[in-house]
Amino acid sequence: MMKFIPLVWAALMRKPVRVVLTLLSVMVAFTLFGLMIGLNATFDLMAEKARADRIYTWPRFGGNGVPVAVARQIEAIPGVKAVTALGFIPGYVQDPKNQTFLLMLDQNAGKVFGDWNVSAEMFDAVWKDRTGIVMTKAQAARWNKKVGDTFTMISKAVKRADGKNSWTFKVLAIANDVPQNSNGFIFGNYEYIDKARPLADQGKVSEIDLLADDPSASTDVAQRIDKKFANSATPMQTITEKLARSGNDFGGLDIKKITYGVALAGMFMVLFLTANGIAQSVRERFTEFATLKTIGFSDRAVTAMVVLESALPCILGAALGIGVAGILARQIPKLMPPNFGIPLPMISPMVILWAASAAFVVALLSAALPILRLKQMDIATALSGRG
Amino acid sequence: MLRQIFVVSAINIRSLKQRPWASLVVVVGMACVIGVLLSMLSLTEGMMDAYDKTGDPGRALVVSTGAQGEGNSSIPRDKARLIMDAPGIAKAPDGSPLADAGLNTGIPVYRLSGRQTYNNLRGFGPKGVMLRPEFHIVSGRMFRPGTRELIVGVLAKTQFKGMNVGDKVILPDGEWPIVGSYTTGDLLDGQLVGNTETVMKALRKPAYNSVLVRLTAPSAYSTFKGALTTNPALSVDPYLQTEWYKKIGANTFAFFKVIAYGIGIILAIGALFGCLNTMYAAVAARAREIATLRAIGYGAFPVALSVILEAVVLSVTGALIGAGIAWALYDGADGSFGTNVFKYAVSPSLFGLAMVWAVAVALLGGLLPSIRAARRPVVEALRAT
Repeated sequence: MMKFIPLVWAALMRKPVRVVLTLLSVMVAFTLFGLMIGLNATFDLMAEKARADRIYTWPRFGGNGVPVAVARQIEAIPGVKAVTALGFIPGYVQDPKNQTFLLMLDQNAGKVFGDWNVSAEMFDAVWKDRTGIVMTKAQAARWNKKVGDTFTMISKAVKRADGKNSWTFKVLAIANDVPQNSNGFIFGNYEYIDKARPLADQGKVSEIDLLADDPSASTDVAQRIDKKFANSATPMQTITEKLARSGNDFGGLDIKKITYGVALAGMFMVLFLTANGIAQSVRERFTEFATLKTIGFSDRAVTAMVVLESALPCILGAALGIGVAGILARQIPKLMPPNFGIPLPMISPMVILWAASAAFVVALLSAALPILRLKQMDIATALSGRG
Repeated sequence: MLRQIFVVSAINIRSLKQRPWASLVVVVGMACVIGVLLSMLSLTEGMMDAYDKTGDPGRALVVSTGAQGEGNSSIPRDKARLIMDAPGIAKAPDGSPLADAGLNTGIPVYRLSGRQTYNNLRGFGPKGVMLRPEFHIVSGRMFRPGTRELIVGVLAKTQFKGMNVGDKVILPDGEWPIVGSYTTGDLLDGQLVGNTETVMKALRKPAYNSVLVRLTAPSAYSTFKGALTTNPALSVDPYLQTEWYKKIGANTFAFFKVIAYGIGIILAIGALFGCLNTMYAAVAARAREIATLRAIGYGAFPVALSVILEAVVLSVTGALIGAGIAWALYDGADGSFGTNVFKYAVSPSLFGLAMVWAVAVALLGGLLPSIRAARRPVVEALRAT
């Protein structure tokens, strides 16, 4: 195979403009391919990494939150290991356009969310300094904050006992982001924030999250919670993390279907381009191939040359395209409207494997017809230039 | 000059069938670009259309200060009465203000796929229907106030389980039968409606979510707004209903547009390289013919223009095919995102967009080859094989 490379290279270089344009087109199609299959890969990873023992529960019919006492009742349910209650304060920084939110976490948050990129020290920090918050890098970048800075958020939705609507905190630490939440998050001390609210609003949380003792029993535990509160003042809606993250679903949209469809359209586009390019190249050199056959090149050798000529731009274009996709993926959060994150595409080994396979399939399909023509060629006619 | 352009372009277009595969590269490329772009945008277009139709410039919606949605707005009963007394509100035949305190809450439902999600349950008070002339019962009957009954929008069943007349919806105090279905031609077509007070009792909600009023005229809005915002007893934000639906949809639409245009632009760049490739090949293939034309006195400009026109014809053909496929697949298809239920739309304006893209790609892809065609020395080209 190696000995053909100079021949194939010479063939490609005969029409450098065509080869370069084909390469660029293939590269662009694989950039899109990488982003699409990469996005799907992130959803796959989220489903795979979903903790089998984690369960979320929140008030079934919305309303003004759930009493934190419910968290204590859930702790008493058999099979429950750890329970944490979360509050949620929506607000904005300076201008209502700059929407963000603050999570209020209790002391058990670290037990239930040990897999966030937040160290135990960071969780503890907001317990030692009650006016403190921790933000992830994405949020720190958005608000241009570093450790020690003051962060002020306006919230009109959550009332304060003192009648003000601004909440001021000190940034205690900056945590790494988690790939499934490219927007990042900010959290503070639940008790401190709760006490700042009017008495009537105190003691209420938005959501209660928990771990089951036995991961295989988490579905049962979820059902037990729903059943226990079905006829209470706050019926609960409970779901296991595994179920919540399954099915590559985004607000009811099937991510798998969309990403595969778009990637396929891109491949279809380059298939026509590469097939046409290789067919043209073989047509132009039909007499030369006849000569090669005359001097003893086997059908197999000629086939190999055509495949190689077709595959080189495909493989190279695919490699470059996937590289560009990796770079572009990191720019996505900058393009998104605030508070509307989508998990970032990731270039996993599986994505590279898919891209390589797609590149080979495109190369082989493109080469198929020219190869057939070369096989059936009548050498004498072709040599005379009448092929 | 015009005659020259016409003649050269006609020869050019007629010669296309001698290069069918190369030409097909541009057609297929553009069909893929536009097919994908319009399929993606059909979601945004359909959702925006539903939002737009839900807003009526003759109505104003009042929510609590800072609320980002009706769901997290709360209007206590006494404030609702104050709002309804504000100036600028039209009168019902009985002389009372044409205003209704409403409810909008999420209730858990299952998608047809089996996934847990939420649908909007709205409460209509005594003026709920009078305020909405777009509302019509389609089958069954209206709910009776004070009775645990709901009615459902005609599109809800395209997305969620248990949304047919005769089905039952579970609320905290038990099962509520769906006794009728309605249409409004907007977002409400995906939702459920019950009597405000009856549903509030079941959900133990102490306050309304919003107040909807019919203005005496759209111009009365400033009077209405002024009365509400200057009243210290109220802390509410009034919106023209059209403005409200623009505001709450803005982020979602921006998000989907970034994605659709991002994907479309990447694909279009790929198609552009394909177009350049094809047009260079076309110019090379016609080198002798072009040189002959130039030799017998045709200008450089008509020759260059003919190349660009060829690119435009191919690109627009591809775009029409792509737009046609997107239209056949998605126009009018049932869709939803989050709690929004709507119909996908490949509107005439999206076809227009497709044409603009097609011409832009053709101009960019045809320009350099056309310059080469026009610049090539005649003698050299005539000798070319």
